[in-house]
Amino acid sequence: MRKQVANAFAPGGALAAHIAGFNAREAQLEMAQAVAGAIETPAALVVEAGTGTGKTYAYLVPALLSGKKVVLSTGTKNLQEQLYFRDLPKVVKALASPLQLALLKGRSNYLCLFRLEQHYNHVPMQDDQLIQDLSLIKKWSAETQSGDIGELSYISEDSKALPYVTSTTDNCLGKDCPVYEDCHLLKARKKAQAADLVVVNHHLFFADLALKDTGFGELLPQMDVIIFDEAHQLPDIASDYFGENVSSRLLLDLCRDIDVACKTELRDHPQLAKTADKVAQLIKDWRLQFGNDATKGNWREAYQKPEMQTALNRVSEAIDMLYLVMKSSLGRSDLIDNAFERLALCKARLLKLTDMQQNGVSLWYETTRLHVSLHLTPLSIADKFRDIVAADNRSWVFTSATLSVNNGFSHYTAQMGLNNAKTLLLESPFNYTEQALLCVPRYMSEPHEQGMARQLLQIAVRLIEANNGRCFFLFTSHRMLQMVAKQLPDLIRQPVLVQGSTGKRLLLDQFVKLDNAVLLGTGSFWEGVDVRGDTLSCVIIDKLPFASPDEPLLQARSEDCTMRGLDPFAQVQLPQAVITLKQGVGRLIRDVTDRGVMVICDNRLVTKPYGEVFLTSLPPMRRTRSLDEAVNFLQQMKQDH
Amino acid sequence: MQVSFYLLSDTPAEDQARQNELSTTPAHFTLACQLCADLYRAKQRVFVYTASQQQAEAFDELLWQFDAERFVPHNLSGEGPKYGAPVEISWQAPRQNRQVLINLATEIPAFANRFSQIIEFVPAAEQLKAQARERFKQYRQLGVNPQTVNAN
Repeated sequence: MRKQVANAFAPGGALAAHIAGFNAREAQLEMAQAVAGAIETPAALVVEAGTGTGKTYAYLVPALLSGKKVVLSTGTKNLQEQLYFRDLPKVVKALASPLQLALLKGRSNYLCLFRLEQHYNHVPMQDDQLIQDLSLIKKWSAETQSGDIGELSYISEDSKALPYVTSTTDNCLGKDCPVYEDCHLLKARKKAQAADLVVVNHHLFFADLALKDTGFGELLPQMDVIIFDEAHQLPDIASDYFGENVSSRLLLDLCRDIDVACKTELRDHPQLAKTADKVAQLIKDWRLQFGNDATKGNWREAYQKPEMQTALNRVSEAIDMLYLVMKSSLGRSDLIDNAFERLALCKARLLKLTDMQQNGVSLWYETTRLHVSLHLTPLSIADKFRDIVAADNRSWVFTSATLSVNNGFSHYTAQMGLNNAKTLLLESPFNYTEQALLCVPRYMSEPHEQGMARQLLQIAVRLIEANNGRCFFLFTSHRMLQMVAKQLPDLIRQPVLVQGSTGKRLLLDQFVKLDNAVLLGTGSFWEGVDVRGDTLSCVIIDKLPFASPDEPLLQARSEDCTMRGLDPFAQVQLPQAVITLKQGVGRLIRDVTDRGVMVICDNRLVTKPYGEVFLTSLPPMRRTRSLDEAVNFLQQMKQDH
Repeated sequence: MQVSFYLLSDTPAEDQARQNELSTTPAHFTLACQLCADLYRAKQRVFVYTASQQQAEAFDELLWQFDAERFVPHNLSGEGPKYGAPVEISWQAPRQNRQVLINLATEIPAFANRFSQIIEFVPAAEQLKAQARERFKQYRQLGVNPQTVNAN
């Protein structure tokens, strides 16, 4: 296969002949050969391919040439679509590959015919937009082949109609569904099982692996090769899926379904409706034991409060009662039978989440204005994942532009239990010394001190003026984002776009279209944003992206680290911040011709010993501490055009 | 008090011209950076004294651009953590006690006696060399016998 791979990438080879503008790069071929090796052996391989290496082709070519069954998993639905509709067809055509391909998304992306019918006939609430969307979806349902909600480009991503026309594991009737044979989700899964290469996303992959979505666990066992792109996201996602959770929302939905069933199919059973009402009331009482604001916290600590225990005990008792009442009414209504199964599941989870004696897990809660959810997160997923990788002689490839810290992979491989994996570090072909300037301005306050907002504004205004906008201003806290968002528009001529004012995709479209805008954002804009050229040529960051210490996942990992006698800062917090910062830099320089300035308004990068870890992990940008230099760089860029 | 004078030899005119083109950084600044890196790794807290704020910032810039593998955490006076970074650069008197003084100014600062170790330079340029000789004499008058180190 190595020879075939080399031929495909060779000058005048299959890729060059069929893909316009294709230029084989040495690092790309090196990666393709390593992937081919991992597929043949079979073995596990971890590859960091710096931005611009061309990693997508480097794994697609050996995957398609191998003739084995391949799962390709990436970070988001958008990336899945990009891969399936843009990159994959090019390579398939170039290699004249006869393989069967499939795209598979999560359950909530497929039209549920049963629920559409249900809610189209009985509109759940009087809302003009909802009614309009429902009828558009109804019309589309007659035409669509795939039932993929992604085709509904004319309906807003957050349309209220979508939850009513898609299913969840909780409300899916499964084999009892009257339109089971026509189920789009089922068809998509069958197609995926029959395909040679399936494109999925990480959430779906782990849901399948952790058997969190029944009826689908059949996918993985048939696969020979598993390739993860954007693999740096796996530790967080895997931790989520190897954990457990239960929420007041889930329980209240359940009570509501019982109520609906009692009003329609089981009119002769007033006791059931009453018992369900009681559960719902007690759950709302329990929510009141937490503060009003949306927050996250340690569940073990919160559970210490006697009032908390009392409130939750009442919920448990009422659930037990409901369980008994429902048990005696089984077999009369599909809705009730389904709700009974869900109730049993919730009951078991609730028991697990109130077991305060268990070790090796972090227990935490999260509240929204109306709801509370309890979560159990394993302190480490390394053992679990190691077993999965070791079983059944499969090939595993993990790749991303940001996996290494300080030129090593130990942080990643230890977290994922991949200690025996081969690793490969491929540097970006970009000339960062020429293309990018990293500036940490002098005489800033310490990050926690007063007056930071004023200083940030002063710096931002200079950069925005010099660059005529075209700038991302990324924050580590919403509080600072709000403070700046309030004042910045009065200080500059350029348009200011603020995260949260509209959806992420729309905001990015506006940013590109305006070509002189400033976008204020937090976490989610560090990743998965691809704005090429001068449109984005300046990134300002308010603070080093250390996760907040009360972040439950971080707490869990830190706990685990301390238990093993290691320093949680060096082992957990620092590497995670380094990866995030690398992602941020990745937004700035997307192409060999891109140039730009990265300004980090946090002098700890200069004054703290750990600055070394950041600097040795980031691409080798030229460094300065002079804001004037940064402004000059931007002005010079403008003149060069 | 231990005082060391690092002697810098003449750089060929060609080299000097090239260096001037790239930056205005004098050779003994580069040497001071390397010494900072060594001292930081030897866990010494260092105070770098400069003649002016402008010079302090020039040295700060140089240290920041220094080899990432030999990173030196540092701050200018007026920024940084409460008790300063391992290396502090200033054109004013130090705020706390540190072991090592690296003097980049042309005169001996009044607070020099607060340090147990002082590093001085004898640059190749004539005027700077003369000023260094003057400082050497002054240390002797203070009863210190400075040692000389050949920097090359």
